[in-house]
Amino acid sequence: MFDIGSFRAATCKGIGRRSFLKWGASVPAGLMLGQPQILHAAPAPKAKSVIFVWLWGAPSHIDTFDPKPNAPSQYRGPFATIPTKQPGVHYSELLPKLAARSDRFSLIRSHVTSQPGHPDAGTVGLTGFEERPEPVQPNFGAIVGKHRGHKGSLPPFAMVGRGIPRDVVRKIEGFGGGKFGKAADPFMVSCSDEGRVEIPSLQLLEGLTPNRISDRNEIRARLDDTLRQLDRASMSEWDRTYQRAYGLISSPQSRAAFDLTQESPSTRNNYGQTTFGQSCLLARRLVEAGVPYIQVNWSEYVECMTPNCDFGWDTHIYNFELLQDTHCPIFDRAFAALLDDLQARGLLDSTLVVAMGEFGRSPRITNRAARDHWSRCYFSLWSGGGVQPGRVIGASDKYAEDPLTTAITPRMVGTTICELAGVDTQARAELKVLEGGTVIHELL
Amino acid sequence: MKREISPWPQLILASIVGLGVFSAHAAEPIRLTSDGHVKRDPVFFNAQRTELLYVLLEKPAQLRLMKLSLVNQSTTPLHPTETRSEFEPALSVNGRYLAYVQNRGNLSLALVIEDTVENRTSEVPPGGGFSGLRSPTFAPDNSCILFSYPEEGRQQIYSVDVQGKNRQTVIDSEGVNNWPQFSPDGRQFVFSSSRDNDYEIYVVQSNGSNPRRLTNSPGQDIRPRFSPDGSKIAFTSNRDGNYEVYVMQSDGSNLVRVTNHPERDDYAIWDPTGTSLLMISERNGSFDFYRTEVP
Repeated sequence: MFDIGSFRAATCKGIGRRSFLKWGASVPAGLMLGQPQILHAAPAPKAKSVIFVWLWGAPSHIDTFDPKPNAPSQYRGPFATIPTKQPGVHYSELLPKLAARSDRFSLIRSHVTSQPGHPDAGTVGLTGFEERPEPVQPNFGAIVGKHRGHKGSLPPFAMVGRGIPRDVVRKIEGFGGGKFGKAADPFMVSCSDEGRVEIPSLQLLEGLTPNRISDRNEIRARLDDTLRQLDRASMSEWDRTYQRAYGLISSPQSRAAFDLTQESPSTRNNYGQTTFGQSCLLARRLVEAGVPYIQVNWSEYVECMTPNCDFGWDTHIYNFELLQDTHCPIFDRAFAALLDDLQARGLLDSTLVVAMGEFGRSPRITNRAARDHWSRCYFSLWSGGGVQPGRVIGASDKYAEDPLTTAITPRMVGTTICELAGVDTQARAELKVLEGGTVIHELL
Repeated sequence: MKREISPWPQLILASIVGLGVFSAHAAEPIRLTSDGHVKRDPVFFNAQRTELLYVLLEKPAQLRLMKLSLVNQSTTPLHPTETRSEFEPALSVNGRYLAYVQNRGNLSLALVIEDTVENRTSEVPPGGGFSGLRSPTFAPDNSCILFSYPEEGRQQIYSVDVQGKNRQTVIDSEGVNNWPQFSPDGRQFVFSSSRDNDYEIYVVQSNGSNPRRLTNSPGQDIRPRFSPDGSKIAFTSNRDGNYEVYVMQSDGSNLVRVTNHPERDDYAIWDPTGTSLLMISERNGSFDFYRTEVP
């Protein structure tokens, strides 16, 4: 493992510690997108960057942003509601920080998706299309990334998380470039609760030490060795990779984008000493560095309580305990901090922030006193980047089982994100993506 | 109809003072650890009460049982080679038995009971499908272990013996019943229940009879813990808009707010003297153990 940079440490509590950017070993696919694919002149996008917060595993809508306090006990659960900044609009008591900031974002309560299982719904949620028939469509981030191309040495589509989102059976097929190819896959980066950043896809420089970062000849030699081991078919891909990887590794500006220790302790504290909190902070730094699209994954696995799985939102058991003790407090703090931070830095107007999962959870409490999958109704949060804040769009029925208003689909989500990020109707047509998608005009 | 709570602490504070709830002005809590990692579920681990057992989110995919020395603040894993998540530990009063929840498979969790004298392990296995037991607690005489378990859309409280056998239903009501703990004399136990909408604290006889509601507030009143002499109950409540630790007499009277901070104070356990509480508090986004006096 090659540790790039040695950053003075500063945990959230200011305790000194050394941390490194760790660069790992395979093709940095997210670095290979090449030149921008802007095929026609278009106005400047309202959203220079997008942060897409992927609440993988599917949070319960009725226990969070769409509570039904008057529903029978077998639906409403044990949580009370709290008022928000919007008269008559209530959230669950588990989200006090976001309730106090509800004028900074809009809430959609009428999402539906076509798939009831995680990987399938994950692909729909990230691409707007089902996995079959092939080809798999590109992640919204891959579309934005392909349209925008690179800015300097940083990737156009970054994914902050422990790995490609998956369940215990398989990965989401629609996590990345899809029909655009691996070159459009996201640049993967992970972040620990102490803000230690690792980039697992760049492990080709194993064995180099931080003090050799300035020795460009050695880096070049290592890369050349790696290249010689590749077959001819992979060579052209590596030629591009070489340039991008070298640029990213050797650029202090790019390296700095991944260095959370450059943040003040108070800023890091605001996000919370959690993997998700520090990941949101890293996303904000990538926005500042000009990365067009950053997807922040809550977890790698959907499962909420399974060995080797990282506590996703799939709360078939322990729904109420996990929401109360960990998931909602962590999300409430980190997402509120992200909105505060972007606003304080003057970035919120030019950064679209979206948070959602792949579906909701069963409004009727299950036999195991928890909630199962529910594709018929769920929520999303939207802020900045051209979105009008403070709106509640759509409504669900009395038990939060189905929308009472027009259903809003993942394809509409992707179309709206792309539209705000500058991938307009013509650009989408030229890229042959999101066909049939419509913009959620109530957000604008 | 469910009640609504306000997120605005200052308004709530003003209102609860009017209701006869007193805010403590004890000394600032003393910080005992500094690693800041997510942690939960503390219990005293040895007879001298110089060591805690708690749960650490050691890495993104594992909750680990850890021992914390209150003498030198050193920490060591209880089961160093364990790769599955273990949490919600409970220790018998005489220290012979240890119980905890262990993740056995996909959304499947068992209750493990270790007999440290006989060096024997018993268990209450997970039920069928997705299921998990939670919140074990021992009767003072080790006659039974209470735990919470969901069935038929409700979450009940059951008892088993220390071999994990002779399962009986103790609390059977609507809603979620959780976090049971016996009084020191073993005649009663407290728990939280959502049977009356949101979580409130109840006390019952040891066989589950004669339930009495001890709290009546908007929001959650959870994780009740009897003081060593049984005269008081500490618990967590978000009635002021965020999670704070409160203490009341065991009949529900004389409610006192012990902590007062915009961030979370939770998982309070009593010091053996009954004069202070150890708790896990969030400060500047980090989670550590603190000790605070009980006024």
